[in-house]
Amino acid sequence: MGVLTQIRLLAKLELCNMFGLNVLRFSRDGKAKKRAGGMLAVVAVLSVLLVFYTGGLSYGLVWMGLAAAIPAYLTAVASLLIFFFGLLKAGSAIYRRDGFEILCSLPLSQAAVIWGRFVRMYVENLLVTLAVLLPGLGVYAWAVRPGLPFYLAALMAIWAVPLLPMAGAALVGALVTGISSRMRHKSLAVSVLSVAAVLAILYGVSRLSAMDGSVEPDMLRKLSDSIFRGLEKVYPPAVWLGMALVRGDWARSLGCAMLSLAVFSLVAAGISCSFHRIVRHLYGSLARHDYEMGDLKEGSVLGALCGREFKRYFASSVYVTNTIIGPVMGCILSGALLFVDLDSVTGQLPLPVKVCSLAPFVLAGVMCMMPTTSASVSMEGKYWWIVKSLPLSAKSVLDAKLLMNLFLILPFYLLAEVLLLLALKPGGLELLWLLLVPAVLILFSCVYGLAVNLRFPVMDWESEVSVVKQSVSALLGGMGVFLLSFLCAAALLIVPEGYTDIFRAALCGALLLAAALLYARVIKISFLNVT
Amino acid sequence: MPPDTTTQPELGPDQALLAREKRKLIRDITGAAGDIHREVNMLTIEHLTKHYKGSEKGITDLSLHIRPGDIFAFIGHNGAGKTTTLKCIAGILGFDTGTIRVGGRDILEDSMGCKQMLAYIPDNPDVYEYLTGIQYLNFIADIFRVPADLRRERIGKYGDAFEITPSLGDLVSTYSHGMKQKLAIISALVHRPRLLLLDEPFVGLDPKASVILKDIMRSFCGDGGAIFFSTHVLDVAERLCNKVAIIKDGTLVTSGDMEKVLGEGESLESIFMEVTGQRDCISREIL
Repeated sequence: MGVLTQIRLLAKLELCNMFGLNVLRFSRDGKAKKRAGGMLAVVAVLSVLLVFYTGGLSYGLVWMGLAAAIPAYLTAVASLLIFFFGLLKAGSAIYRRDGFEILCSLPLSQAAVIWGRFVRMYVENLLVTLAVLLPGLGVYAWAVRPGLPFYLAALMAIWAVPLLPMAGAALVGALVTGISSRMRHKSLAVSVLSVAAVLAILYGVSRLSAMDGSVEPDMLRKLSDSIFRGLEKVYPPAVWLGMALVRGDWARSLGCAMLSLAVFSLVAAGISCSFHRIVRHLYGSLARHDYEMGDLKEGSVLGALCGREFKRYFASSVYVTNTIIGPVMGCILSGALLFVDLDSVTGQLPLPVKVCSLAPFVLAGVMCMMPTTSASVSMEGKYWWIVKSLPLSAKSVLDAKLLMNLFLILPFYLLAEVLLLLALKPGGLELLWLLLVPAVLILFSCVYGLAVNLRFPVMDWESEVSVVKQSVSALLGGMGVFLLSFLCAAALLIVPEGYTDIFRAALCGALLLAAALLYARVIKISFLNVT
Repeated sequence: MPPDTTTQPELGPDQALLAREKRKLIRDITGAAGDIHREVNMLTIEHLTKHYKGSEKGITDLSLHIRPGDIFAFIGHNGAGKTTTLKCIAGILGFDTGTIRVGGRDILEDSMGCKQMLAYIPDNPDVYEYLTGIQYLNFIADIFRVPADLRRERIGKYGDAFEITPSLGDLVSTYSHGMKQKLAIISALVHRPRLLLLDEPFVGLDPKASVILKDIMRSFCGDGGAIFFSTHVLDVAERLCNKVAIIKDGTLVTSGDMEKVLGEGESLESIFMEVTGQRDCISREIL
């Protein structure tokens, strides 16, 4: 069998259950079908939101007379989205273990296995690209009425947009996985290196795209140039492709696509060469066989459950990386305020509000981007039988999951608060809100995450990525409190000045009450119904 | 049906002593001191029905009674409903109708009380791979509040018997299937349950470990415990068990004392093939 046939077969295998489609088609289990349908519905809603967002953004650019910037701008948006989300999962998607031993025993080439996995990543990312680019290009075509060459150039290039960011993410993911595969605590090393890579790249991008901040009278005219200059520094291929589309230069467009394909192929070939070596280090574990019975310590039931939660958490690099990035970013943002001129920032805000008033909501929104609880029940997976067969109440199991999330976020919360207090120097009630609002929102996010996960559990997963990054509960759990924080901040802006303290007090009270009611409800659940 | 033991006939001095011993045994088995349940059965299943949505598979009107000291084999073809039954008893799966009582306690009304008395080992012992063997055993011992000295003694005893003690410091992810099975067995024994539910316990065990497990099973039931286990190894079931039940397509086809089920000179294999109607099919196919 040729390598291409092997790739086709493996890609088919990878794609057949994308977004739970296979479960939806063939499962006779109503619950499983409902879950798969829910997942598909969430993906559809997110896609519609993305379409509206990019459509609206493009319309805004047309209105400002910046239509020519749309293709380059949206190419950069799609590429950055693919790159950053890819960074956090590339390593585990490429080197994932499920089915690996079976594949190894089959007469399949190593390259076919890798390319099969890349095809799935590519299809997912192509959908993101289409959701971002198509509405924007539609608005551009409506506004500018370009000729046939534009459409030809677009057709030649759109399919290749995901390739470069995918290559970048795969390269970083492979490097991180490769380095950590040689370390003793592999999962922890992958987590630390992944978070460090994301932060380093974010820092680099922010430094490169930083503008001088001066507001010029003819800013609007110069904005287009400014956008292109910024994009050229951060991601030049977006500008090359954007220019090719605007000019209807299909040859240049095809050139960009071919260049992307060449770079991607090179990266894939490189990863393919080191695949087995990295996998061998990654999954080959050393057993010592030297244990001698010593004294054993007794512990409380809750202590045992909490200890198990922490060990589960730190054993999964995907879980750690995706849930720790929010709290880390919260600390970095809080620390960054120490180095900026607050009066200047307040002056540049488009709304009459103090940084100090918005800070608690921003901090909470960032820190609650993905609570661990929104995946902690699903992460039990094939071990769920243990909890179900032991004499454990739902309350004690769920308390341990909540406590783990709170203990995990506590040091980040404290550090971020100290940094904010040093930077903002709030006084009186502002100090109280700065401490209380994020604490209440974090508490609510933990309980809410648990409730969402119990409503949409996924216990029969094959890869942790499908629970942490692609499940309904992870999406809702992550976005829910982020949006809530945003809405609360927006509500604060329209509350009359004399009533802001009452508003924040009422908000904290309402959130605490909601968290208490939700908690009272979730601990009554029967695990028999969680399958 | 087991004999009714709730009535109290006139007893002589020896019989009274025996009856006292028996009551003590029942008290030990059924838990709370002084709370002597009227029911002698360690496990009572009555009219259990469980069907999966959208599937014909399941169990229909299953009734079984397992008494202290019983080693009860549960046999049937693949997909007959053995694992489903065991999971319903262990409180892992819900069921449509019927009752399950462990030591007189209803699994739906007092699942915590029931689970305190039982231990379940699945056919594929998926044990937390991110823990070491000793961490897992300690976790289970913490859940059942086993005192430190007792857990050390029991883990040492069973660990040495199964020759797994040197590996207890290693992550479970490094264990073979058989080692995971041994670990699951030790975790089931560390808290001294009264009822053991085992799904295919001999699969993956090496010959020595199988012999040890059989000895442990005999000793466990000799001390008043009860074992309900599924198996495809009919020879082992025939030699080890005093009771047997055969299930076909979710329905019990026969159950009772092993000797009575076997009758004169028959083997469990031939009885199984006969009652499940498979002997004729196979014979016809071969001929």
